[in-house]
Amino acid sequence: MIEETERIVISLPATAEYVDIVRLNLYGIASKMGFSYEEIEDMKVAVSEACNNTVLYAYKQDAGKMEITFEILTDALSITVKDEGESFEPWRQAGGVTLHEKELSEAPIGGLGFYLMQALMDDVRVETQSGQGTRVTMVRRLQRSEEKV
Amino acid sequence: MNTRKSLKFSTTTQRENGVITVSLRGELDLSAAPDFRKVMDPLVGIDDADLVLNLKELKYIDSTGIGIFLSILKARHGMNSKFYVQEVPDHIRKLFEMTGIAKFFAEQENSQ
Repeated sequence: MIEETERIVISLPATAEYVDIVRLNLYGIASKMGFSYEEIEDMKVAVSEACNNTVLYAYKQDAGKMEITFEILTDALSITVKDEGESFEPWRQAGGVTLHEKELSEAPIGGLGFYLMQALMDDVRVETQSGQGTRVTMVRRLQRSEEKV
Repeated sequence: MNTRKSLKFSTTTQRENGVITVSLRGELDLSAAPDFRKVMDPLVGIDDADLVLNLKELKYIDSTGIGIFLSILKARHGMNSKFYVQEVPDHIRKLFEMTGIAKFFAEQENSQ
């Protein structure tokens, strides 16, 4: 059986002011698919973290775009955040740290974003090609849930 | 798009009985972070009052906001002044626990 995929693509300026537009689109799509309120809140944070990374690091001072692709699968939502900026990944190098087991004085301010993205989604893949930007693909599987939006 | 920013996120500050309470409303994300820092900067150094964030009306936060909270925790800890959160919505508490910042707030709240 061939699995049909419906795809929604939005292209936005890679600026902080547009990240909430991504969250609004995500909300609409995920609630239509039957994800629960809590699952959608999780995905909002994960997707925003990927967008934040693009806004902060992909294009340095230059204007650039971020392209977000929502793929509606039979039992999951796949979200890809793509930029065409430099392949600079300070968040990933930070290793997805958490503050557990750390004293306040040694707690790092950065690195939480990548950790949250991994913790809140079922699958996260980061692909970077020099000169061609970064593509972050995140998947959240649809649970059979009673609490629908 | 500067006008939208203020609608999306706002704060109110009040001082009462040695406690400065900043109530956050809306979405504290990357675009709201500079405004939030501006509100907090003059308050962080006040050492004769506890500094409290009321998060009851906070709808969204990510690592940007949590990072700011952490830097305030560090500054207040260095001054021996309290900084903690109250009325934290469930989905935000979950993020505090996942990242580990929750224990620092708990330490502050329970310290003398």
